[in-house]
Amino acid sequence: MIGTLAKAAPYVGYVYPNETDIPWSVLIVIYPYITGLVAGAFIVSSLYHVFGMSQFKPVARFALLTAVSFMFFVPMPLLFHLGNPQRAFNAVLTPHWTSAMSAFSYVAGFYVCLLLLEIWFAFRADIVALAKTKAGLAGRIYRLLSLGSDDVSSRALAIDHRFATALAIIGIPSAGGLHGYVGFLFGSVKAREWWSSDLMPIIFLLSAIVSGIGLLVVLYVAYSKARKVPADESVLMGLAKTLWAFLLVVLLIEGLELLEMFYKRLEGIDAVQRLIEGPIRYGMLLQWGCSVGVLVLLSVLILAKVRGRLLVVGMTVAGIAMMIGVLAMRWNVVIGGQELSKTTKGLLTYYPEILGHEGLLAVAIIFLCPFVVLWLITRFLSPWEPEAGKEVSS
Amino acid sequence: MDHQDEEKKPKAENALRRNFLRAVGVGAACAGAWVSKTLPAKSLADETPIPDIPGYDWRKHKWAFGVDATRCIGCLRCVEACKAENGVARDAHHFRTWVERYVYLQGDDQAHVDSQSEPGNIAASGSEQAFRFDNRYQNAPVEKAFFVPKLCNHCTHPACVQVCPTGATYQTKDGVVLIDHSYCIGCQYCVQACPYGAREFNHAMGVTDKCTWCYHRITKGLQPACVEVCPVEARVFGDRNDPESPISRFIKNNRVSVLKPYTGNAPNVFYVGIDKEVS
Amino acid sequence: MPKHIVRLMLLVAVAAAAALGAKAYFTDKSYYRYGHYRGDSVAEIAGDTPRFRGNAYCKSCHQKQYAAWEGSPHNNPAAGKHVVCEVCHGPVGPHPSTVATPSFDERIALGSRAAVLTDKGAPSGQSSLPRDKTLCIQCHEAMPGRPSAQRQVALAAHSGTAECSTCHDPHEPKIYFSNLQAPPKGNVQAGKTLAAQCAACHGPAGHSVNPEWPNLAGQHAGYLLKSLQAFKAGTRANEMMSGMAAGLSDSDMENLAAYFSGESCKKSAGDPALAALGKARSNTCALCHGAAGVGGNPSWPNLAGQNASYLTASLKSFRSGSRSHPVMTSVAKTLSDDDIDRLAVFYASANCK
Repeated sequence: MIGTLAKAAPYVGYVYPNETDIPWSVLIVIYPYITGLVAGAFIVSSLYHVFGMSQFKPVARFALLTAVSFMFFVPMPLLFHLGNPQRAFNAVLTPHWTSAMSAFSYVAGFYVCLLLLEIWFAFRADIVALAKTKAGLAGRIYRLLSLGSDDVSSRALAIDHRFATALAIIGIPSAGGLHGYVGFLFGSVKAREWWSSDLMPIIFLLSAIVSGIGLLVVLYVAYSKARKVPADESVLMGLAKTLWAFLLVVLLIEGLELLEMFYKRLEGIDAVQRLIEGPIRYGMLLQWGCSVGVLVLLSVLILAKVRGRLLVVGMTVAGIAMMIGVLAMRWNVVIGGQELSKTTKGLLTYYPEILGHEGLLAVAIIFLCPFVVLWLITRFLSPWEPEAGKEVSS
Repeated sequence: MDHQDEEKKPKAENALRRNFLRAVGVGAACAGAWVSKTLPAKSLADETPIPDIPGYDWRKHKWAFGVDATRCIGCLRCVEACKAENGVARDAHHFRTWVERYVYLQGDDQAHVDSQSEPGNIAASGSEQAFRFDNRYQNAPVEKAFFVPKLCNHCTHPACVQVCPTGATYQTKDGVVLIDHSYCIGCQYCVQACPYGAREFNHAMGVTDKCTWCYHRITKGLQPACVEVCPVEARVFGDRNDPESPISRFIKNNRVSVLKPYTGNAPNVFYVGIDKEVS
Repeated sequence: MPKHIVRLMLLVAVAAAAALGAKAYFTDKSYYRYGHYRGDSVAEIAGDTPRFRGNAYCKSCHQKQYAAWEGSPHNNPAAGKHVVCEVCHGPVGPHPSTVATPSFDERIALGSRAAVLTDKGAPSGQSSLPRDKTLCIQCHEAMPGRPSAQRQVALAAHSGTAECSTCHDPHEPKIYFSNLQAPPKGNVQAGKTLAAQCAACHGPAGHSVNPEWPNLAGQHAGYLLKSLQAFKAGTRANEMMSGMAAGLSDSDMENLAAYFSGESCKKSAGDPALAALGKARSNTCALCHGAAGVGGNPSWPNLAGQNASYLTASLKSFRSGSRSHPVMTSVAKTLSDDDIDRLAVFYASANCK
C-alpha cells in the first residue's frame, strides 16, 4: 500500500503516533561515523604537517588519502536517506542558514576542496615525475593533474610547502568544524532529551578523532602487511599515545555528561534511564566496554614499552575495538535518541531493515566503498616513501 | 538615523540629495503608474506583494486554534476528516491530528495514555483504515479520564522551520506554518525538531507532511476540516485580529495553556482542561 | 608565482564563478519574495480544493433529511452540538458529479501538486466507517473519558447487537415512529362485530380464555395492527393466526385494533416474591416497554397484565429464533429460563392501567 509503512516501530509506554515511523535510520548512524573517520585521519596528517611531529611522517600522506577517500562517501548515506535525493541541491541553492544542516553542503564541499588541494600539493612532485614517465591514459591523467607544469625547483617546492602548511592550518578548524557541526546537528535538537546537550559537538569531535586514529592504525597495519614491510614502531607508538590522550578526554567528557544528567535528575531522567537499560543497553556496553578496554590496553602498551609483533597486534586490536566502540556510540546517540519518545513516557525499538535502500546491506556497501576507493587511489598515487621501503627490504 | 545625518550635512549637499530623492520618487511613481496599468489592481493597495490567493489578504489575519479537552468525546471524527481532506496516509502511524486518551485509575499517580497507533485501538477499529478508541476501561476503577486532541501548534518560533535546510517549511504572514512539498528534500530534520511529534513523513511523496490548519480552507473563509466536523465544539478556530472570533472569545473567556512552553516555541494552539501529564 | 599556482588559482576561480552562476540560474524566481521560501508555494497550497463542503451544500438537494436533522438534538448550537451532515456521511467531495477523480497513481503521473494529497480519503459522500451502529457508537458508546454531558449508552444493556437505526432515525435520533403508520383510526363498532371470530380464543372483550394466548384488551392499537399485518404477510408465523389474518382486509384489521385497544385490561395474580425478582431483572425491558410494562410507544406492546404463560412462550421463541425481531432476539438471548419466568410473573401481575 502506498504511503504505508511496512513496519512501524514497536514501543512501550506512550509515544506520539507519528513517532512510530522512526525518521532517521541506520544510514544516519553511518553518516557521522564516516565523517568522524575523516576528521580523525586528517588530524593525524596535521600532526605532522602542522605540528611537525616527525614520527607521523610515514603515514602523513596516507592519512590524507584515507581522509579524502572517506570524505567522498560522506554524502552517500544522506542521499540514500533523503525522500527526494534529486532535490538535494535545494539546500545548496537556498541554504537556510538558521539550520545547521544547510551548512552541510558548504562545509563538506569546502572540506573536500581543501583535502584535494592539500593532497595535490603533497603529491605534486610525484605527479610531475609520473607525468614524465608514464605513457597512455595514466600518463595523460598525470599530465592533466600536473596542470602542465613540471616546475619542481626547490623554490617551487618551498612555495608548495607553504601552501600545504597553510591549508593544513585551515584544515584543522575545518575538520573540527565539520565534525563539531555534526555534533551540533544533534545537540541543538531541544525536542530530544537524549540529544539536547551542549557537550554533544565536543563529544562528537573527540570520538571522531579516536575512531579516525583507530581506522588509520588498522589500515596502516594492513597496508604494511600487503606491502610486506614491517609496520613502523615509532608510528604505532605515536598513534598509541595520541589515541590514548584523545580517548581519555572523550571518556571524561562522556562520563561527566552522564554524571551531570543523572545528578540533576531533571524531568525525563527516568525515561533516559529506561533507555539506557532498555533498547540501547548492548550498544552502551559495547561503547563503554570498547573505550575502557582500549584505554587499558593502550596504557599497558605505552607503559611496558611493548615493541615488535606484540605492538602491532596490540595496536590492531585497539584500532578495531576503537572503531567498534565509536560505531556503537553513534548508534546509541542517533538511534537511542529516537528510541526515547518525545513524550518521555515511552520507548520505541528500532529494527533496521536488512535489504532496502535504508537497510544494513546498503550501509555495508556504502561503508566498503571508501576502502575500495582508497585502494585505487594508493595505486594511482603511492603515499609511501619509496626509499624507506627499499631500505627495509634490502 | 536619516534625520541625524541630514542635520549634520551642509545645506547644499542636502538640497542636492533632496533633488535626487525627488527624482527617484518621480521615477518610482512613474514606474508605479506603469505597473498599475499592466498588473491587476490588487497590488496597488500596498507596494509589498502578497500571494495571489483570490479574495484573501494574509496581512489581515492572525490565525489561532483552541482545544477544549473538557468537551472532547474521543469520537475521532476529526482524525478521519483530516485524513480525507488532506490525503494523509490511511494508517495508524501518520497523522496531521490525533487524539490522546488520559486515564487515571484509582490510586495511580501516572496516567495511562493511548492514541491511534496503540495496537488495542487498531484492533478495535478493525483495521488501520478506520479509527476508534477501544473501551478497555469500561469496567476499570477509573478516577479521572479525558481526551486531548493534538495537532501542529503553528508555533510563533517554530523549531521545525529553524532547522529546515532548504526553506521548504516556513511561517506565513498570517501565522501558519506550511510545507512546500515540491521543494522539500525529505531529510526529516524537522520531524526530529518538533517537540510535539506533529510532523510525519509521506513515504509516497518522500516529503514531510503536517497540519496546515487547512490553509486551502481558511483562505476561502471555511473552517479547518477537523473543526468543521467536531460535533461538540472541542475544537475552535479563528482570527485573533477579530475580537469576536471564536478563538478570541475562547482565549478571553478561559484560562488557556499551551503544550511544552519551556521549549520556547510559543505554540498557537491553546488548550483548556488539560492536566499535568499532558505534553 | 610558479605556473602551476597561477593555473590552480584560475581553475578555482572558474569553478567558483560557475557555481555562483548556477546558483543564480537554478534558484526559483519567486524565492525570497516573502521570506526564505518559494513564494509561489503559498498560493499553491491555498489553491487546493476543499472536500468537506458544509451543510448548506447538502441542504440544497437533501431538504427533507435536512429538515429532520435541523430540529433534532444532533443540531443544538446552544448546547455546542453540531453533528453536521459530513460528521457521519464523510466528505462531500465532488458529489454528485459522476466524473471520477483521478486515482492516486494517475495524479502522481500528472505530477501536479495535487499528487501530494493522496486520494486515500473515503469516496465522496461516504464515511470510511460502515453506516451502521459502528458509526453511532463512535460518539455514544459509554466510555470513561467522555464528558457526562455527552449522551452515552452501555451497549450490551441498551440494545444488545441490534442496529441503532432500528429505533433511532440518525437524522432525528429521538425515538421515532416514522416506520409505522399513524395509530389506526378504525371503527370500534365494526371491530366489535368482527371480534366475534376472535372471542373463541381471545375471550370476550379480549380477555383470553387460555393463558397460552395473549390478552388483547387495552393493547396498543399500533402493535395489534402490526401483529395482524405480520401474520397475514407471513413474517410472523402462527398456525391459527395466519389463517385468521388471511381473511382480513386492511380496514378489518384497523377496526379490530381500534376495538381491542379500547377495551379495559386487567392484571392477573402472581407470586409477589417471583414478581419482585422479575422487576429486578427488568431494567433492559423498561427502556422500551416502560418501567411497569406500560410503554409510551404504540409500536411496541404493553406487557402489564399480559398472561404469564404467553409472555414466557414469547420470550423463549425470541430466544430460540423461532420468532424474530431486531431488538428482542438479542435481548432474549441475555435471559435465562429463571429470568424469563420471573419477568413473566412480574409483568402479568403489574397494573396495566
